[in-house]
Amino acid sequence: MPHPPTSTIRATKLLHTAQGPQRLDIDFQWQQGRLLAIYGPSGAGKTTLLRILAGLTPTDSGFIEVEGETWLDSSRRLNLPTQRRSIGFVFQDFALFPHMTVRRQLEFALPDPNDNSIVAELLSLMELNELQHLRPAFLSGGQQQRVALARAIARRPRLLLLDEPLSALDDDMRDKLQDYILMAHRHYGLTTLLVSHHLPEVFRLADEAILLENGRIRTQGAPADIFAASSLTGTIASIEESDGSFAILIQSLHGISRIAVPKTEAAAWQVGQQVSIKILNLSP
Amino acid sequence: MSRAFVHVCFLFMTIPLPFTSHSQKQEVVIAAAADLKFALDSVVAVFTKANPDVDIKVIYGSSGNFFQQIGNGAPFDLYFSADIDYPRQLKEKGLTLSDIHLYGTGQLVLWSSTIDPAIDKMNTLLNPSVKKIAIANPDHAPYGRRAEEALRHYQLYDKIKDKLVMGENIAQTAQYAQSGAADVGIIALSLALSPAMQQTGGKYWLIPADSHQPLEQGFVLLPHSKDNKGASLFMNFFTTSEAKAILKSFGFNQP
Amino acid sequence: MIDWQPLWLSLRLAGLTTLLLLFISIPLGYWLAYSRRRWKIAIEALVSLPMVLPPTVLGFYLLLAFSPSHGFGRFLDRYLDIRLVFSFPGLVFASLLYSLPFMVNPIIAGFSSLSPNLRAASRTLGKSDGATLVRILLPNIRPSLITGAVLSFAHTIGEFGVVMMIGGSIPGQTRVASVAIYDEVQSIRYSLANQYAIVLLAFSFLILLLVYLANHHFNHAKTLP
Repeated sequence: MPHPPTSTIRATKLLHTAQGPQRLDIDFQWQQGRLLAIYGPSGAGKTTLLRILAGLTPTDSGFIEVEGETWLDSSRRLNLPTQRRSIGFVFQDFALFPHMTVRRQLEFALPDPNDNSIVAELLSLMELNELQHLRPAFLSGGQQQRVALARAIARRPRLLLLDEPLSALDDDMRDKLQDYILMAHRHYGLTTLLVSHHLPEVFRLADEAILLENGRIRTQGAPADIFAASSLTGTIASIEESDGSFAILIQSLHGISRIAVPKTEAAAWQVGQQVSIKILNLSP
Repeated sequence: MSRAFVHVCFLFMTIPLPFTSHSQKQEVVIAAAADLKFALDSVVAVFTKANPDVDIKVIYGSSGNFFQQIGNGAPFDLYFSADIDYPRQLKEKGLTLSDIHLYGTGQLVLWSSTIDPAIDKMNTLLNPSVKKIAIANPDHAPYGRRAEEALRHYQLYDKIKDKLVMGENIAQTAQYAQSGAADVGIIALSLALSPAMQQTGGKYWLIPADSHQPLEQGFVLLPHSKDNKGASLFMNFFTTSEAKAILKSFGFNQP
Repeated sequence: MIDWQPLWLSLRLAGLTTLLLLFISIPLGYWLAYSRRRWKIAIEALVSLPMVLPPTVLGFYLLLAFSPSHGFGRFLDRYLDIRLVFSFPGLVFASLLYSLPFMVNPIIAGFSSLSPNLRAASRTLGKSDGATLVRILLPNIRPSLITGAVLSFAHTIGEFGVVMMIGGSIPGQTRVASVAIYDEVQSIRYSLANQYAIVLLAFSFLILLLVYLANHHFNHAKTLP
């Protein structure tokens, strides 16, 4: 089986942040079909990185090659405009067009207006059929997010770029929408870059993660490898309840660990169950 | 997109504007000193009765202003100036098409709707109830220049100069006096004799002509009237005794 | 009997000016709203100049520029047979300059009030800047376009000083309603002046009423869920 095509970005740019000037200097690669999370504290340059990929933000110097096609090569003064880069971009504020119905947003995104079969498919895949004739002002945040995702995919991009698409939503909504992202990523065989500062999201969605800090890449790899510092294995000794809050006690070689859990999860555990505790290092 | 835009703009610029569609009538545009307002309207009415094919449009204003506008290319066919010096200057510049005709000498009056100026004559202006005196702007209105000369002649100018208000032309000056905005106006006799001024119930007193340079008025055919038969027809009509009688009745002394 | 010609002339002048201004101001406003060039500030100031300038200043310079006895006007007159002074096309040109800020400024404000991501989103969907302008930006600044059009129209109707300087009050060509009122007052024909004035007054009130109604409507629509 041949190796899937690889894509590369190298870019430098002087950023003017609230904390003063900061240099963005990145260099990494990814493979077709992967879902890559870009994780880091706010102000690390995550959004800028995504916008550079989309051609929305200029670089001081840089090179971008996506699946064999060169998008940017500052040494050759080559810079493909945004319109000619095969990308789907989901903005943090969704950037839905206020005057268009859901259906018209998707139709607008079609590369070939005569071939609109994907519109119906996306509407049902994202469960937007009943909302298709509404305008964004009449949609909830979660619904808007689904429309933004569907619109980005309707353009049939090679690369799907998601800029903290779930940050504006509450936790319940987040979980549901993560499923939609995963489903779309797999169904359309996309290569996806996801900017996030929410670690559970990274674990749930990403095949691979990049840790961005102060404009530089600290490390790249599988989320569990990057963030897992240590783990221990044991048995659930007992489950406690007091005043409606739950905790499980785990007996391991190193003694007993007491872990508070949400009420909704308490039922999932049983005394005597074998479990493993992973402790993640959020700033490895 | 941008090319289509330029195209659309160009289209708009080249659409013939509706005002250019000429009617059958031959149009003559006259620029006339404001003192002619009522006299010229009467002459035009008589002329048009005899020549219904000619459509005469008269614009009234200050002679100096028209002089400036003609110099800047204004499309007038005939120019009637309250100061014959203006058409003479145009002729020197080669901006005329005919000789200059003297059509009358204007006269200055004191006019007021509240005081009878015949009683105190020029000293009416010193009356304490007179707060504002309207004259035409001496810079570009001949009647204003002559009014100032008369005031200096009677050695009144320095005493009343703080009370002067300037009309843009002699018609506006008359309107200032008529409306009461000014207590007294120094205006043209032709305007004092007009129905609109007389209806106000104002009284006037003729300022002696020896107190100022004569208000010799002249008209001339302008280059814009080339090939305009109506313009020369009207010019000829203006020298007939019929036209002269009308002018005389409006207070223009005939040569 | 009221002579409708000056009113009709004013309407035609204002209508044509507004139409041309829309075509000029959309690209100009777009550039001023989005360009990153520093010197665009100077252009912005230049565009807004007629708002603070006495109309006579503009009129004076246009008179000099258009006069067939000087450089530019002489060129137009001799080689292109165009005379802009004391003519209707000249008034249209002057009105374009005079009312430009009333069209451009609302359009700039409209563009600036849109989320910059709207434009970016349309680009990521492969749409050219032209298509983005026509299909995304313009529909979303419709209230600004309407405000700009109404203000330019009303401002042109009310134009007086510039017309006095370069118009010459020629009936059917440059004697617009505002000048006709001035002329009629000088001729002590108050009732005629009054008729023109009443029509303009009623018309101006109606226009402003419509603007405020439209604004009210748009604001109201925005607050819906």
